[in-house]
Amino acid sequence: MLAQILAIIIFIIMFALIILDKFERHITTLVCGLATIVLVFGLSMHSMNAFLETLNLRHIFSIGFWYEAGTVTESSSGINWATILFLAGMMIMVEGMARAGFFRWLCMTIANAVHYQVIPIFITFMIMSFVLAMFIDSITVILFLAAVTVELAQLLRFNPIPMILSEIFCANLGGSATMCGDPPNIIIGTSLRYTFTDFITNTGLMAVLSLVVMVLFFYFCYRKEFSTTSGAVTENMEHLSPKSAIKDKKAFLISCIIFLCAVVLLITHAQTGLTVAFIGVLIALITLITAGKEAIDLLKSIDYKTLLFFIGLFLVVGGLEQSGILELVASFIGDVSGGNMKIMIAIIIWVSAIASAFVDNIPFAATMIPIIKTLAATTGADLSVLAWTLAMGTDIGGSATPIGASANVVGTSIAAREGHPISWKQYCKSAIPATFIVILISMVCIYVRYL
Amino acid sequence: MEKQLIIALGREFGSGGHIIAQQLADHYQIPLYDHNLLNHIATERNVNHENLKKYDEHPKNPFLTRTVRGYSNSPEENIARMQFEYIRKKADAGESFVLVGRCGESILKENPNMISIFVLGDEEQKIQRTMERNHISREKAKRMMEQHDYKRKTYHNHYSKGKWGDSRNFDLSINSSKLGLDETTSILIDYIDRRHPIATPMDEN
Repeated sequence: MLAQILAIIIFIIMFALIILDKFERHITTLVCGLATIVLVFGLSMHSMNAFLETLNLRHIFSIGFWYEAGTVTESSSGINWATILFLAGMMIMVEGMARAGFFRWLCMTIANAVHYQVIPIFITFMIMSFVLAMFIDSITVILFLAAVTVELAQLLRFNPIPMILSEIFCANLGGSATMCGDPPNIIIGTSLRYTFTDFITNTGLMAVLSLVVMVLFFYFCYRKEFSTTSGAVTENMEHLSPKSAIKDKKAFLISCIIFLCAVVLLITHAQTGLTVAFIGVLIALITLITAGKEAIDLLKSIDYKTLLFFIGLFLVVGGLEQSGILELVASFIGDVSGGNMKIMIAIIIWVSAIASAFVDNIPFAATMIPIIKTLAATTGADLSVLAWTLAMGTDIGGSATPIGASANVVGTSIAAREGHPISWKQYCKSAIPATFIVILISMVCIYVRYL
Repeated sequence: MEKQLIIALGREFGSGGHIIAQQLADHYQIPLYDHNLLNHIATERNVNHENLKKYDEHPKNPFLTRTVRGYSNSPEENIARMQFEYIRKKADAGESFVLVGRCGESILKENPNMISIFVLGDEEQKIQRTMERNHISREKAKRMMEQHDYKRKTYHNHYSKGKWGDSRNFDLSINSSKLGLDETTSILIDYIDRRHPIATPMDEN
């Protein structure tokens, strides 16, 4: 009982501190993680086993962590090292691509292909944002896309805000389509042992359908904003040429090949048996080896704070899990829904969406995973359906407000730094209806397909 | 003017600090930067000044703000940092100017040619000045003062290590109500001239 109370208190404090943003997120989760070890596992539970299970280090040294030869082993709880290694590997690869000029080159190639016409840029950038975010973290996608959008807006004289808002939404939507697109999906996939194909054929289909609707939605929302702009650019053409974006031809080519390899490895990982942890480490090693002298700089560019944030977060959630709190939450949801799958799905998707709109969706997803596992075990509900519901709820819900997802924060910040501040009102005006529509589409898809 | 002179002037609402800053800028014939900073930034970046103005010297709402890898969604914070960057650029380029508010004493702390001043005032005088300037009742003037000072304090304390109005952060803190605005300006000029002997107006050079 004491362990449960302490685990809840630590969890609430962690969430409150994350929301208040007074301390850096990784400091908050690490301190709360340490408090979990000392107060929950140590003083209350006196359980070395609970601590070791949450630390989960043994798992890294098992073959199943790196290679799954078709057998699905029991999913592990505690620190999700597969997520952390995969994210670190992708960070190194993405940094290599960025340094070679890949993202700017891609943006400029597409803008050039549509002859710098504003509406076609608007539509193609939304699609590009979606596709890139399927494989690359949405922060990086928006970092480059928003910067190029502002640059194009200055030259073509259009308001970049509607375009940036649409790109942010599509990046979050693209992230929901795959296992590696958004951190909640990586955690869900690695914790519950789903494959890239599982995601693409389930959340992916919902995301693509939603993308079609969203392109139309944003087009009708903002077409008037772009109709008065001139479009064709006459000056600074050289600066806009795709070639000018490539800083180093050899590095550019290598980064393109590595990216393609990563995509192929991820798509085929169910067939090859290679885990995402293995793919992350392999891609990072190849990037570092081919980078030569720049390897150290690439290593330095890893966002260690995010990785530490994950470690602390998994410790706190591990405390909740080990103390049995999450089982209570799961049984509560089971009772409220009366075992009715439709109600369960509605609760999970809407609660996840609303919560993710205001708090970081990563801790929310990490907390919800053990809950849906218990829910499936106790009510007989299909775990995969609950997993897709949770993924769509957390991934899409984050789009509703400027603080819901990392891409929103980065996109609005870049716009503001260039002199285009975006208020909450301005952001939510299109984002809330768009989020509502996509959540509704997802819920209907889940009902029609799985029930 | 041969040597760079930067006067960073903080002020309480209604203390007449802005008028004093203008008088100092006129005396030394150097530009005055206040809310007009955003005009310069807007022109430089080819954006609408009106869109930036509403976030000028406003504190961010911590409940509606999130920071990711150094990026913040708060327009107030981004506009503030944009202004700091612009001010630092001007200072690094060797320009002389008077800067009103905007954490000047803190962001230009390392500049040896910066003189920091904080202008405060007696409550009654500040209320009277606010009433006259805005043609409002005493009650409204008092509320207006409190609101503005709260905003300035929150804004300042978020971006600076020192507390707003704390005399330890300024070279000189002065109560403008004791001698009136013109006399206060004279004393400040005297102080600046002693601190900065070459800081004489252009026409006197």
